[in-house]
Amino acid sequence: MGVLDKLGVGIGWRPEIDLTVERLPGVDFVEVVAENLHVEHLPESIVLLRERGVPVLPHAVSLSLGSADPVDVHRVEHLGAVAEALGAPLVSDHVCFVRAGGLDSGHLMPVPRTRDALDVLVANVKTAQANLPVPLALENIAALLEWPDGELTEGQFLAELVERTDCHLLIDVANLHANARNLGTDPNRFLDEIPLERLAYVHVAGGVEHDGVYHDTHAHAVRPEVLELLGELRSRVDPPGVLLERDDNYPSDSELARELAAIREVLARHA
Amino acid sequence: MTEGARERLAEAQSELLTALLAGGPSPAGFDERLLRVEARSLLAKRRGIVAMLGPEVVDALGDEFRPLFDEYALGHPRVAGSRAREDTADFAKWAQERGALPEPAKRRWWQRKAT
Repeated sequence: MGVLDKLGVGIGWRPEIDLTVERLPGVDFVEVVAENLHVEHLPESIVLLRERGVPVLPHAVSLSLGSADPVDVHRVEHLGAVAEALGAPLVSDHVCFVRAGGLDSGHLMPVPRTRDALDVLVANVKTAQANLPVPLALENIAALLEWPDGELTEGQFLAELVERTDCHLLIDVANLHANARNLGTDPNRFLDEIPLERLAYVHVAGGVEHDGVYHDTHAHAVRPEVLELLGELRSRVDPPGVLLERDDNYPSDSELARELAAIREVLARHA
Repeated sequence: MTEGARERLAEAQSELLTALLAGGPSPAGFDERLLRVEARSLLAKRRGIVAMLGPEVVDALGDEFRPLFDEYALGHPRVAGSRAREDTADFAKWAQERGALPEPAKRRWWQRKAT
C-alpha cells in the first residue's frame, strides 16, 4: 500500500507527553487526535517531528460515520486539512456513532451489525472519502454493550465495509480483547474474517478490569493478553505499523520505552 | 440503500442514547446489566472531563461534586455539537442556582481570563 509499506512502531502524540515522544528511542511514526489540532497553530513538537521526517497521522474521533444523521462535512474537511498540513498519507476514524437524536454520547458507541446500519455506514464513509484528500482507515472499537438482532459478526461487518468502500482498516488489538472479554467475540474468527491486506496499522493500548468488565482506559499498562493478540495478528500478516496509545495517567519515559520494546519483541517473535 | 434504513437506524440510535444518557426506558433486546455498565461508563467519562476543566468547582463542592454532577447530567444530557467547556460552565451555573456553590465573584471561574 505504497507510503504505508513501512510505518514501523509508533506512539500516540499527546500534548502532555510531547517531549517524551520527541526523545523516546525507536518512535518511527506518531498519531495525533485531529480534533485537537488547529492547522494554523500546529504544536511546536509536531512541527519538529515533521522536520525530522517522522510521519504524523491524524486520527479523528468525532466524524460519527455510523450515525443515522448525515455526515458533518465540516468535520471531514477539518480532518482533511490537518492531513494536508502534516503531509499525512492517511487519516482514520472509527466504526461507531457518537451523535443521535440531538444528543452526544461523549464516547464511541457501537453500531448495530445489521444490513440497515451497514448501508448507512457505507453511504457515510463514501461521503467522507469524497471530501478527503487522502485514504481513510476505519478502526474497530471497544464496545461495552451489544445491539440485539445482529445479522453479521464484527469481522464480516468490517469485511463488507472494506469491500464496498475500499477503506483501509485500523485494527485495535486492545479493543479486540475488550470485546472478547466483555461480549464474547472470538478474536481468532475476527482475524480470519477481516481482509488483512487492507490493514493500515494496528493500535495497542492498556486497560483495566473491574467487576469482570475490561475497560479500555488507555491509562494503564498494556496487558499480556493484548500483546498475545498482537502476536496472533503478526503470525497472519506483517502490519505496516503498530502504534501504542496512552491517553492518561502517564508513566515514566522508561516505562513507555519498555512498552514499545515489548511490542517490537512480540512482532519479532511472531514474524 | 434499503428504503427507510436511515430512519430506522435513527430511531434505534436515538432510543439507545436517550436510555443511556437521559434515563429513558431501556430499548428492547439489550442486556440490562450491560446498559447499566455503559451508562455508568459514559457518565464517568463526562464527569472526569468536567472535573479536569473545572477543578475549582470540584474543590468547592468536595464530596458533593459527584452526586450533584450525576443528578445534573441525567437531567441535562450533552447536546450534539456542544462543547465540554459549555458543559462545565452549565454545571457550575446549575449548582449555583441550587445554592450548592457560592455566587461567583466578578470574574466567574468558568470564564476565560482576558488575554
